[in-house]
Amino acid sequence: MHFKFFFNEAVNSLVRNWVMSVAAIVTVLVSMFVLGLGLIMFFNFQTAISDLRNKLEVEVFIKNTASPDEINGLGDEIRAMPEVKDVGFISKDEALDRLRGSLKGHEDVLDALSGNPLPPSYEITLKDPQQIETVASRFFDNPIVDNTPGTHDGVKYGGETSERLLKVTTYFLIGGASFVMLLTVASVLLISNTTRLSIFARRREVEIMRLVGATNWFIRWPFIMEGIFTGMVGAAIAAIMVMLTNRFIIESVVNKMPFLPFNSEAVPMFWLVLLVVIGGTLLGSVGSGLALRRFLKI
Amino acid sequence: MIRFENVAKTYDPNIVGLEDVNIHIERGEFCFLVGHSGSGKSTFIRLLLKEFEPTEGSITVAGRNLQRMRRSALPYHRRNLGCVFQDFKLLPNKTVADNVAYALRVTGQPARAIRRKVPEILNLVGLGDKMNNLPDELSAGEQQRVSVARAFVNHPSLLVADEPTGNLDPDTSVGIMQLLYRINRTGTTVLMATHDREMVDKMRKRVIALEDGKVIRDEDKGLYR
Repeated sequence: MHFKFFFNEAVNSLVRNWVMSVAAIVTVLVSMFVLGLGLIMFFNFQTAISDLRNKLEVEVFIKNTASPDEINGLGDEIRAMPEVKDVGFISKDEALDRLRGSLKGHEDVLDALSGNPLPPSYEITLKDPQQIETVASRFFDNPIVDNTPGTHDGVKYGGETSERLLKVTTYFLIGGASFVMLLTVASVLLISNTTRLSIFARRREVEIMRLVGATNWFIRWPFIMEGIFTGMVGAAIAAIMVMLTNRFIIESVVNKMPFLPFNSEAVPMFWLVLLVVIGGTLLGSVGSGLALRRFLKI
Repeated sequence: MIRFENVAKTYDPNIVGLEDVNIHIERGEFCFLVGHSGSGKSTFIRLLLKEFEPTEGSITVAGRNLQRMRRSALPYHRRNLGCVFQDFKLLPNKTVADNVAYALRVTGQPARAIRRKVPEILNLVGLGDKMNNLPDELSAGEQQRVSVARAFVNHPSLLVADEPTGNLDPDTSVGIMQLLYRINRTGTTVLMATHDREMVDKMRKRVIALEDGKVIRDEDKGLYR
């Protein structure tokens, strides 16, 4: 093959039009980086959702107005359920202690509270996550459970939170996908414009190539390679940035805000990088191919 | 080698390029194509290169009918047909050697063959010592020699020259003509379109004269007139 020849021709042309080349590389970079970030988010949410789904716990919050007898009665009722593996009672005081524990260093916030607003609760562990809905639904209409009228927010279980998270993820995906699409179109157009410029810059060369009997693909290859390079370079930088983001930024976010459902190990990095690089390369070849179809008359 | 049968070419709208041309040029011939500007010389050459199709008639080059030729076969047709132009058509940012090598690379020749053939052909045209110069550093005559070298390096069976001496002074023109003559002596058919009366009269080769797209004269050992 004449790989070396095509390679040199393509690199020379990219260097000659370096402003356009850089612009095209940057758009590929941005679109592939956003794609990568979107995917990191997606994988994190996915993991969080499945973690929640697999949680075996149901929390039942009890109205402050409930009498000790009523509370104990509910406890017995729960213990009698065949799906239940274990039940724990969290009194108002224990709940406050827990909150204090999770606010380490900021306990003074609690001084602003008058009394203890936290409700007592039962924490129920189940034998099988499949039964979580069934068990949770038994408390929806219980009069001593702390439900806001018309809802069942006094019962907390994984399914509910995961559904909400799923909804957020869907919006997030739609938004991210349209943004990536927009950027993709922009990068294809920019690459196609770079190729167009280099076709014009080299129309004499193309004419001579035709005269001395170059086949169409011999003429096209250097231009296509230009596009592929642009795409690959942009995508490679984007891939590195995505890896660094996952490694450092997500990790530091998780360290500072552990309640967020992020985890830098949730992402199949190898596939993500592969996808980003292939995506960028594809953008490049499509962009230059488009320009060739329109502007290179052979 | 070249056969035109009832060839006509009309440009839009109704501008005649060529009309009812019947020409047969044998293998190994040296042939001048003469006529004023607009007489149809360029149309004739561009038809040979299959840059466009004739409106009527058929053209055969080296035994192949150009109208029946597939588009994908066009590059191979052109490799068998060396071209020299009035404006040289050299690539200004490539050295003399690279310009010649270009024609070989395009045909897929291996690098080793290119390294061997390029100095060989440049020595033949007398530019062995200017291989690494850029075209701008050469005189017009030398540039045309490079262009002839490029056209001949693939050893085509037909060499077409469109006013190759049009931009050159008489002495330099003689050098180019001698080069073309030597190429012809190797068995290559040479077709040269020209205005150069003196040269045609001196060479006494076949002369085909065109006027308003028609062949008005075709004689062996002819004169420009």
